[in-house]
Amino acid sequence: MITRFWAEIGTAILTLVFGLVIVKGSLEFGIGWDSSGPQPGAFPFYVGALVAAASLGTLALTLGKQLAGSPVLAESFIDAERGRRVLAFLLPLAAFVVLSVTLGMYVATILYLVFAMRFQGGYGWLASLATAFLTVAFLYLSLEKFFQIGLLKGPLEPLLGL
Amino acid sequence: MDNIANLMHGFEVALTAHHIMLMIAGVLLGVLVGVLPGLGAPNGVSLLLPLTFSMDPVSAIILLASLYWGALFGGSTTSILFNIPGEPSSVATTFDGHPMAKQGRATEALSFAFLSAGFGALCGVILITLLSGWVASFALRFSSPEYFAVYFMTFASFIGLGGASPLKTIVSMGIGFALATVGMDSVSGNVRLTFEFDVLLAGVSFLIAVIGLFGIGELLLTMEEGLKFEGVAAKVRIGDVLRTAAKMPRYWLALLRSSLIGIWMGITPGGPTAASFMSYAMAKRSSRNPAKFGKGEPEGVIAPETADHAAGSSAMLPMLALGIPGSATAAVMMGGLMIWGLNPGPTLFTDRPDFVWGLIASMYLGNIVAVVIVLATVPLFASILRIPFSIIGPLIVVICFIGAFTAANREFDIWLALIFGLVGYVFKKLDYPIAPLVLAMVIGDKAEDAFRQSMIFSQGSLSIFWSNALVGTLMAIGLVLLFMPVIGAGIRRLRGLGQARTV
Amino acid sequence: MKTIAISAALAGALTLGGFSAAQAWEPTKPVEFVVTSGAGGGTDNFARLVQSIITKHKLMEQPIVVVNKGGGSGAEGYVYGKGAKGDPTHLIFGTNNAYLLPYVAKLGYKFTDLTPVAAMALDEFLLWVKGDAPYADAKAYIEAVKAKPMGFKMGGSQSKDTDQTLTSMIQDATGAKWIYVPFQGGSAAAVQLAGGHIDSNTNNPNENIGQWKAGQVKPLCVFAPEHLAKGDPIHDGKGWGDIPTCKSAGIPIESFRMPRTVWMPADVPADAVTYYANVLEKVSQTPEWKEFIKRTAQTGKFMKGKEFTDFVAKDDAANKKVFEEEGWVVK
Repeated sequence: MITRFWAEIGTAILTLVFGLVIVKGSLEFGIGWDSSGPQPGAFPFYVGALVAAASLGTLALTLGKQLAGSPVLAESFIDAERGRRVLAFLLPLAAFVVLSVTLGMYVATILYLVFAMRFQGGYGWLASLATAFLTVAFLYLSLEKFFQIGLLKGPLEPLLGL
Repeated sequence: MDNIANLMHGFEVALTAHHIMLMIAGVLLGVLVGVLPGLGAPNGVSLLLPLTFSMDPVSAIILLASLYWGALFGGSTTSILFNIPGEPSSVATTFDGHPMAKQGRATEALSFAFLSAGFGALCGVILITLLSGWVASFALRFSSPEYFAVYFMTFASFIGLGGASPLKTIVSMGIGFALATVGMDSVSGNVRLTFEFDVLLAGVSFLIAVIGLFGIGELLLTMEEGLKFEGVAAKVRIGDVLRTAAKMPRYWLALLRSSLIGIWMGITPGGPTAASFMSYAMAKRSSRNPAKFGKGEPEGVIAPETADHAAGSSAMLPMLALGIPGSATAAVMMGGLMIWGLNPGPTLFTDRPDFVWGLIASMYLGNIVAVVIVLATVPLFASILRIPFSIIGPLIVVICFIGAFTAANREFDIWLALIFGLVGYVFKKLDYPIAPLVLAMVIGDKAEDAFRQSMIFSQGSLSIFWSNALVGTLMAIGLVLLFMPVIGAGIRRLRGLGQARTV
Repeated sequence: MKTIAISAALAGALTLGGFSAAQAWEPTKPVEFVVTSGAGGGTDNFARLVQSIITKHKLMEQPIVVVNKGGGSGAEGYVYGKGAKGDPTHLIFGTNNAYLLPYVAKLGYKFTDLTPVAAMALDEFLLWVKGDAPYADAKAYIEAVKAKPMGFKMGGSQSKDTDQTLTSMIQDATGAKWIYVPFQGGSAAAVQLAGGHIDSNTNNPNENIGQWKAGQVKPLCVFAPEHLAKGDPIHDGKGWGDIPTCKSAGIPIESFRMPRTVWMPADVPADAVTYYANVLEKVSQTPEWKEFIKRTAQTGKFMKGKEFTDFVAKDDAANKKVFEEEGWVVK
């Protein structure tokens, strides 16, 4: 189980790093104020610094509350049960993204929908396959044919002559 | 009234069977592109553009404008049903629209959205009809300082709105601003903050952020709760649409205020997205029970929708009369105008009255056609929620990622959507407000550009923001909006102290 | 008539390329038009018009898909083109930004990552002032600016782009000095001039025509070697053809024009380049294209092969000189 305390700390550290990265990136362009107003790096620099400072503030506040024994921070951010549910959704979703860039979006859509419906939703093969293929046909006809927007394609489409 | 006579003539031009067919086709296509996230109105219009090169300009603009109205309506549909804004300007509709849908009030939320959107659009068109000449010359007085003041007003109205921790609000808004600066900086001509990754050259797309933060983030939360949409059991009846329509007059003040905000943001270049945010903020601030907002308050749907459409339609005026596109879609249409051989500018109204007034007349008709069509689809859309979540969830995932890709045909964007999805999930669980991030992304870079252009104008002197009555007034309103929560809280505290003493 | 012109052009192209008709290359997959501007931009209009003409006149068998890659003021499209190395189904539409962008910004592509195909038109630049400004000609305006250095404002598109380059050239040539205000694009600069917020701009004809018609702005001179094509009168009986050239008006700049260009990725077959150059040449001879050129007051000039690469080399050198003087070149 991850408590809310660790989630708060982890997120604040990440936003702190984000702020510092922005600060570093903007130093390249000059952060001063010359005759024509702020230099190109000034705005991102101060924004990054503000994010970093506010993140530090959140860190300090969270630590302070923890030391004071705040009950909210001891609550669970995510427990095993909920974590499992999120992962059961997130992992196939991430797999869908990976498949989209390797096998193309059409194939990925079919595999993902069939997996989610057949093995997670508990539907029959027929219903799963039918939903997957109907979705892909709709996307193909509306995007590729009508609006002429190509989706990412993999090695399979050229073999089918699409 | 010359304008009324012109408008009547416009109706003669627009009211043909051919044009009505084009309106219906345009609206239907628009709803389709609006419903698919990523594939928004600007894409839809630019995809149809080559088709129109062989049409006569009046028919062409009627088709494209109707597609735009349709897309604006379609964008709200997915905002309400799935928390996925189909269009950037319907982000604010998710705040209360989606909670309503979750409570089984999808039909009501959709009907409120469409009816108030239609009202807003009509207000916008009426303004164009009556005040086109005056507005065009007013808009000419706007330069960079005035633009900055308008963006500042929008921010000021939105800041300090939520009950979230100030530190977390700053982090969220700062991230939005920082992301908006990635890519080409037009004021200096430098490429900023790409860290030499080519994929960041075009910046971080706002559409992708929204798909991830709202759409995918919401799905993750829903999965974690193990919830199905609670709307499943809700019955969908056409009568509900009519009952909702009967409730509309109750919200006359919100409708009127939101229309004014929308029109204002449409003719100054704030645009529909900023308009909907500002309108939502003003509705919440002026409401007697602001605590209800964000939990399914109808006014939280009405306010952004009215302003969004009022801004969308009144943005056509600066496009026609000045050649300033008030929205991304208007920019594409302006490209079309030039290819059709029409030059946007002050003389377009006198050179080509057929075209201009035909378009304006079609805006009345097109919006009415659109409202009728989308209201008819309410039962259909609302019943989507009755499909079990184990089917609709994965389908939403597919549509989100395909939307993320089609927004700009970039593979990188699907990864980005995934990252934003995780950020949205964690931020929501830890009470980081997401709206400031989104708003900062939408107008952050424009505000920065306007500020730096102003500084070039004045050679580094801030006094330019008080240099004339117009910009001074705008900045003053902005400052009042910014400090109102503080002042309000102070007054309440004083009052509270006073009462405590008397007791 | 048209068929004769087309076959003549075709014959010319074939002798140039040195291929016989039997070997003619043709795409076997849908062709992607990569547009290096956002939807609605000048390059976008250009590409979409070419697409519609090709489709209408059936100049190509394969369908065309248009993709906007306008990020980083077009760099995104060229980087994308670099990624399609060796793929003969990508055409990249742009301007002279193809070879100028890598000078001023650190980008993931070099000009050598592109294969030149053709230029289809030259967009002209004019010097504009407000309609009621007291300057009768370019000379009078320049004198006024010289009398008050940094007292006048020149507006244009983003920094280090064509408008600022031209402004810098005028400054070098005349000794005048402006405050340059970069806006999001030419149309914004047009409205800012009409509203009197800036004193002049160097917009393309198409960007200012609406304001000129209404008399809100007026052209002083055109940066072209000769007068523009005579067209219909636009304001006060004057049309594009009546505008003096800047050289004759006292600004010693021979010519400053922006080519509308088409490129392919590197390492594509020479036959493919020839094929597309021929298709584009046929496009440039259609009445629709000529109408577009006339409406937007560009100069229709089709260039391919050596003529095009020579033009690029010359334009590149002229711009590079300004970039170096201004210190815009990135290491």
